[in-house]
Amino acid sequence: MNVLGISYGYHDASATLVVDGQIVAAMAEERLTRQKHDAHFPTYAIRHCLSVGGIGTEDLDKVVFHEDPHTKFTRVITSSLAPFPHSRREFVNSAKSWLGEKLWALNTLSARLDLDPAKITYVGHHFSHAAQAFMGSGFERSAILIVDAVGDWSSTALYTGEWVDGRPQIERVTEIAFPHSLGLVYSAITAYLGFRPNDSEATTMALAAFGTPRFADVFREIIEAKPDGTYTVDQRYFNFANFYKGAYTEALVEKLGPARESGAPLGLDCLDPDAAISEEDQRFADIAASIQCVLEERILGLCGTLHTAAQTENLCIAGGVAFNCVANQRILDESAFSSLYIPPDPGDGGTSVGTALFAAAQAGDLTPSGLCHGAYLGKSYEEAPTLEMIEHVNPTHFRRYMKVGVDAAQNNNWKVERFEPEDGLSGLCAAVADRLMQGELVGWFQGNFEMGPRALGNRSLLARPDDFDAARRLSTLVKNRAPYRPYAFSVTDGDAQALLDIPADQVRFHRWMQLAVPVRPEAAKMVQAALHVDQTTRPQVCFAEDNPRYHALLSAFGERFGKAVLLNTSFNPSGYPLVATPEEALVMFARTDLDVLVLGDAMITKVRPD
Amino acid sequence: MSMMERIKVRALVSVFWRSKQTMLSAVNGFQATEADGVWHLLRGIEGAEDPKVRATLFEHMIEEEAHAEAFGLVCREESAQAFVPTFYEREDIFPTGTPIWKLIAYVHVGEVDATARFGVLRDALPPGRLKEALKTIVADEEGHIDLTHDLLLELGASEAEIRKTYRRVRLRRAWEGWLRSGKRIVNWVAVTLLSGVYFVMAPFFYRTARAKLRQNTVEYDNNRLKGAQ
Repeated sequence: MNVLGISYGYHDASATLVVDGQIVAAMAEERLTRQKHDAHFPTYAIRHCLSVGGIGTEDLDKVVFHEDPHTKFTRVITSSLAPFPHSRREFVNSAKSWLGEKLWALNTLSARLDLDPAKITYVGHHFSHAAQAFMGSGFERSAILIVDAVGDWSSTALYTGEWVDGRPQIERVTEIAFPHSLGLVYSAITAYLGFRPNDSEATTMALAAFGTPRFADVFREIIEAKPDGTYTVDQRYFNFANFYKGAYTEALVEKLGPARESGAPLGLDCLDPDAAISEEDQRFADIAASIQCVLEERILGLCGTLHTAAQTENLCIAGGVAFNCVANQRILDESAFSSLYIPPDPGDGGTSVGTALFAAAQAGDLTPSGLCHGAYLGKSYEEAPTLEMIEHVNPTHFRRYMKVGVDAAQNNNWKVERFEPEDGLSGLCAAVADRLMQGELVGWFQGNFEMGPRALGNRSLLARPDDFDAARRLSTLVKNRAPYRPYAFSVTDGDAQALLDIPADQVRFHRWMQLAVPVRPEAAKMVQAALHVDQTTRPQVCFAEDNPRYHALLSAFGERFGKAVLLNTSFNPSGYPLVATPEEALVMFARTDLDVLVLGDAMITKVRPD
Repeated sequence: MSMMERIKVRALVSVFWRSKQTMLSAVNGFQATEADGVWHLLRGIEGAEDPKVRATLFEHMIEEEAHAEAFGLVCREESAQAFVPTFYEREDIFPTGTPIWKLIAYVHVGEVDATARFGVLRDALPPGRLKEALKTIVADEEGHIDLTHDLLLELGASEAEIRKTYRRVRLRRAWEGWLRSGKRIVNWVAVTLLSGVYFVMAPFFYRTARAKLRQNTVEYDNNRLKGAQ
């Protein structure tokens, strides 16, 4: 049976093809269009999924859409009517967008895929998140927690999932309705702090580590806990139903003080935690710490309710708030759940995976463990044509187009070394590890790109984890990354517990960089450039069976460094999604201060003038 | 660029661009157009077989990417709000398998138009970040005009074939321009009509809407596959 899962229309459009119960390919459209969070119809993701599966649209048995467009339409129109007479612009834009296209999403699917409408099905948005969380978990029975901004009508949903007679059954415990939304409050505070909402929530989370939650009582009052573990949001502080007026109101500014202007300097630095912080910057950090603290408290309240209802130790989490690795770790530490699963892409981009797997499971006798999937579900590329092209590229041509601050004179010539595939891996890894040991910055491009926003060793920028200078160079001359955003590291499963303060039975929870954990004090110096100011990190524990090439590189570096650990960050320029093609990787190599680019079995280095 | 269009651009700058938001919205559109060009060149590189052609397109692409970033930087530096880039729905200009020179001809005509439009804009603007960015960009785009034309000759096309292709591309771009104008008109009509609907309908429904938004939980059944089974 061939099932295609599709999400699009708000942000992070994606497609997933499941053939006979196995995921053939899954990817976000953004990787193929180079537009971060691209919401458009996932033409290219679908095309590639079908191409990998070797099928056409006529071979599809079922297409599953990730939300209920009719219900969502009622929510959008209702919320734009409520602020009358101050919401004309909101109403007009919503109605135009929905009546013009989004309401007819199912017809669009049928038309664009040239498919019989009888093959098209859909589920509620939060249900698709629940399916995404539960289907790949391998659990026979689990509680499911979905927290995001807003779906069809709900913003938070609690479910139980169970396999009964070979079929998945997902039952609702409760759903909290829009506009009461933890995700939207967090996004509004992200906007208040001068960052881009719906994109830079991780920056708010990063900022929180610099602060103390002295405004927590303000947020406890705004997001009021109810005795049953759920919550309500005081709407006087926000414009969720009328966001053209801005995400937050003057009432919030009166409580917290003036908002931060986007682009205003923020003097906080992960690599220099002792640096003096201005009073105003400290206030912003304290506000971030406060919303983070109350978010965690409310999520723990939800977990309590869910545990009572589900009567299981297993928990699956999805929805945009599941990207909050600090909150995830607190769930693991403080809730009654002891086993945790968060899919590689818990946001909207991953809903196509869940819906496709759920529909396939409804139709067949799949086992839960048979549905477990990894993160390397994206497209792979031949590197050979790019390497041929490089012979005709003149690096000096790019001197005028270097990123700000990069010494153009350094970009004179490139050297390409090819390693034979038979024994190439050890040779390649040794050569790259030597470069890393010298403090060089490496772009590592291998195989299929990752599903989800985390670089997990197939599209990664790597550096020595104890080297502050390398980390600073990476931030300023490669990534254009704010200094208050910390780096993380990858470590092999064998060395994970030597560096991280985690029990052995939780090591596997860290495969996809979804939890922030403390580093052992005795190991902190070794990974000091990949730590946040609170001495935590969001590690990737790499298992050889998940990614043998990357594991081999980590091991080769470990032979030289003492521990198999590397600073690992996403291979993308600021504002873009992770690179997909070798050419995109080469552009970044050409225009930035990257020293080495590895494309498959080839290593390209910049020949620096003496 | 015709005299009428030059006057139009100057009027745009001196009248409408007094509003910073309008100006930044337009610059964001330039950013999106340049980024779209980068994406098409990437697709071209994937489709081209000759490594030399791929290398030329690659070098060209890097310049276009720098232009997109220059426009994005203007938006970032001039606005107090966080920059949210405009996105276009990506769509291949030609079907997969179309000879690469057709794409290059399309790019060439685009460069000619962009050079003319950005040149007029550069001259009309008062000193500032955008004017400085346009100085570099126009110089680059002028180079791209020659580059793409030479590349077409290198690929073996005759001058006559090239001119014929340019004419076809110009017709196609003119048609696309008309479609965009049509969409703008439809959009204007829709905004007017829906504004009317809002003021007629909302007074009757806003109380119901407010009551609905006071509900704290969701009760409807959304927990199963719907539609055809």
